[in-house]
Amino acid sequence: MATEPAVKSIQLSHRTITLIGRYQEMEIDLLDRQTLLFLFRQMLRLRRMEEALMQEYHPADEMRCPMHFCIGQEAVPAALSLLVEPEDYLFSHHRSHGYYFAKGSPLRELFAEVYGKETGANGGKAGSQDISHHASRFYSGAILSGAVSIAVGAAFGLQIRKSRNISIAGFGEGATDEGAFWEAANYAGLRRLPILFVCENNRYATYSDQLKRQPNDNICERVVTFGVRTRRIFGNDVVKAYLTLREEMARVRGGEGPGLVEAYTYRWNSHVGPEDDNVNNYRPASEIQFWKENCPIRLLQEKLEAAGYLDSQTLGRMEREIAAEIAANFQFAKESPFPSAGDWRAMNWDDSSPLADRLLGAQSRSEFDQSQPEARLEPY
Amino acid sequence: MSRLLTYAQAINEALRQSMELCEDVVVLGQLVDYKSGIFGTTTGLVDRFGPDRVQDFPVSENLMTATAMGASLTGLRPVIVHQRLDFMLYSLDAITNWLALWRFKSNGHSNMPVTIRAIVGKRWGQGPQHSKSLHAWFAHLPGIRVAVPATADDVKGLLMESIFGETPAIFVEGRTLFSMTAHVPEQPYRVRFGQATIRRPGKDVTLVAIGVIVPLALRAAAALDKQGIDVEVLDPRTLSPLDVNTLCESVGKTRRLIVADHGWTSFGAAAEIIARIAEILGDNLRARPVRFCLPDSHTPMSMALEDQYYASDADLVSAIQKMF
Ligand SMILES: Cc1ncc(C[n+]2csc(CCOP(=O)(O)OP(=O)(O)O)c2C)c(N)n1
Ligand SMILES: [Mg+2]
Repeated sequence: MATEPAVKSIQLSHRTITLIGRYQEMEIDLLDRQTLLFLFRQMLRLRRMEEALMQEYHPADEMRCPMHFCIGQEAVPAALSLLVEPEDYLFSHHRSHGYYFAKGSPLRELFAEVYGKETGANGGKAGSQDISHHASRFYSGAILSGAVSIAVGAAFGLQIRKSRNISIAGFGEGATDEGAFWEAANYAGLRRLPILFVCENNRYATYSDQLKRQPNDNICERVVTFGVRTRRIFGNDVVKAYLTLREEMARVRGGEGPGLVEAYTYRWNSHVGPEDDNVNNYRPASEIQFWKENCPIRLLQEKLEAAGYLDSQTLGRMEREIAAEIAANFQFAKESPFPSAGDWRAMNWDDSSPLADRLLGAQSRSEFDQSQPEARLEPY
Repeated sequence: MSRLLTYAQAINEALRQSMELCEDVVVLGQLVDYKSGIFGTTTGLVDRFGPDRVQDFPVSENLMTATAMGASLTGLRPVIVHQRLDFMLYSLDAITNWLALWRFKSNGHSNMPVTIRAIVGKRWGQGPQHSKSLHAWFAHLPGIRVAVPATADDVKGLLMESIFGETPAIFVEGRTLFSMTAHVPEQPYRVRFGQATIRRPGKDVTLVAIGVIVPLALRAAAALDKQGIDVEVLDPRTLSPLDVNTLCESVGKTRRLIVADHGWTSFGAAAEIIARIAEILGDNLRARPVRFCLPDSHTPMSMALEDQYYASDADLVSAIQKMF
């Protein structure tokens, strides 16, 4: 294996990354044992939750919404979960579970949401790909790049209000196909907004390779021209992800302007749902194998075991706790009632206006003189 | 105390007073911080409130809308403005896929109090990309309010109501109204959404006039008065929500309905208003209801063609005469 190049020596891209074979560069010495174990536990929780949701999806068919699972992509959400503050804003795309998890939003409300229940985070109106949890400042949506733009708006608001909190936008490389993304990058750079862009580059948008959609695998090079700092990392190294995100979030928080972290990673499952989408034959078996060998959880687990930080007893206890948590979440979701529609208008419009009630008087309409001329436009 | 203000001055006053009342109010838009200030509607605001709260924006309409939306999550109450409604169309995704359904999708946990001003050009060769009035499109959307204020006093009250409301609103402002005056109270005040006003009482026919058509409708009504036709001119002021009660009261009395709208004829606001009335009062009408709208055509540039494209007072007068 010694002949294989290390990540450090290559220009990271999905074309070059598989050349490294087994990833050897995780530096657990840079973090303390407690942080490492917490990162591990968070990744494992997310993995087991996703596995359980996939498992339970069919044939029960009680969760009837499109779900984009994130197995294989646990490192970035786990790292974020240790770093994001309650008052920070976090926005994500359709592959939302990892980010919802990262924001510390209540998981049982995610379960209830995908079951379409009243107790869901959005009362069963949004489902997996549109879920939000306002109280914990987490928002997502299925229209590519749309949430990135709104995240920029939140950063703008935080800047105007001179807050020390930041806005974080999580998305895939596919979002950068959209023009909207580049408007967002331009404005973030222009105003030096407190936003961190987190791009999980898993090479594909549904089945389509990045290089079928973009001339180059070089999002960082393009983004940096807008005055946004960029970092490109091997996204399955959770230590690297944690340290990079920590540094970048501190800079954004410290008023140094926007940053982008591009994490190269891979989803193991199909694009959407638990069904297999290999019929489209879009991913070489060797590529899938590379990424499974470099599973973010396994990479850390081996290091932890070698360092004597994790033994089978601790792991077993963790697994049991996680299994119990998941079972409780399923139970909550299944036992919760379905919502009933009620008032469609109130669902869509808020007709109350407490602030106007407080600030504004009533009007008395005046007469309008109809004999006056209308404005004549000038050339512009 | 009230005094005569132009429509543009009334908008300016609404923005200034809103910003004085609440420091969460910010104004974004291309060129809002120059002296010309979007036809005078934002002039002077930057001097008074500073560049943080009154900001020029890149020519990125989609992002501008999303920026207002995200900012509203942090507690701001943004007003954004488009020199032409046509430019705003780059933001249809932000409006349709995000803003309109934000409250719904959050299950009522989160609102976005965003006010969007869109100006509609008319004549002087504005042509097909500077003159579209797509209020009917927006009124089709759940979760959005749509205002079509016709007078200076209404635009001030509706704007302030929107800025301090909880549901996003789109204002469709006819550029030809900007120099027209009305008595505008000096104090901050509200005009509620969903409350039509009778601009001229009458007993023979209800003429619903939407937005920029209101002055034309009043002139036509005055002309018809001399011929013994007593026209009631009803200004809905907002299309979403629509004040169906006042409409029904009026048509219940006159039993004739014509809707004049500065939008295309097919699938437009006039069609919707007539449908509402037909569902409730269809059996009681004395004449078939009439849509008086723009032809189903894009706007021509040539002044000769403009004259044929846009209706005159006489056109409206004769359309109403035919109902008798
Ligand atoms: C505006 C828009 N166009 C198309 C789609 C359909 N779509 C859903 S997911 C997806 C691919 C997304 O790829 P990426 O952004 O890389 O995220 P990933 O799924 O890989 O996590 C597409 C094209 C969409 N949701 N929104
Ligand atoms: Mg992707």
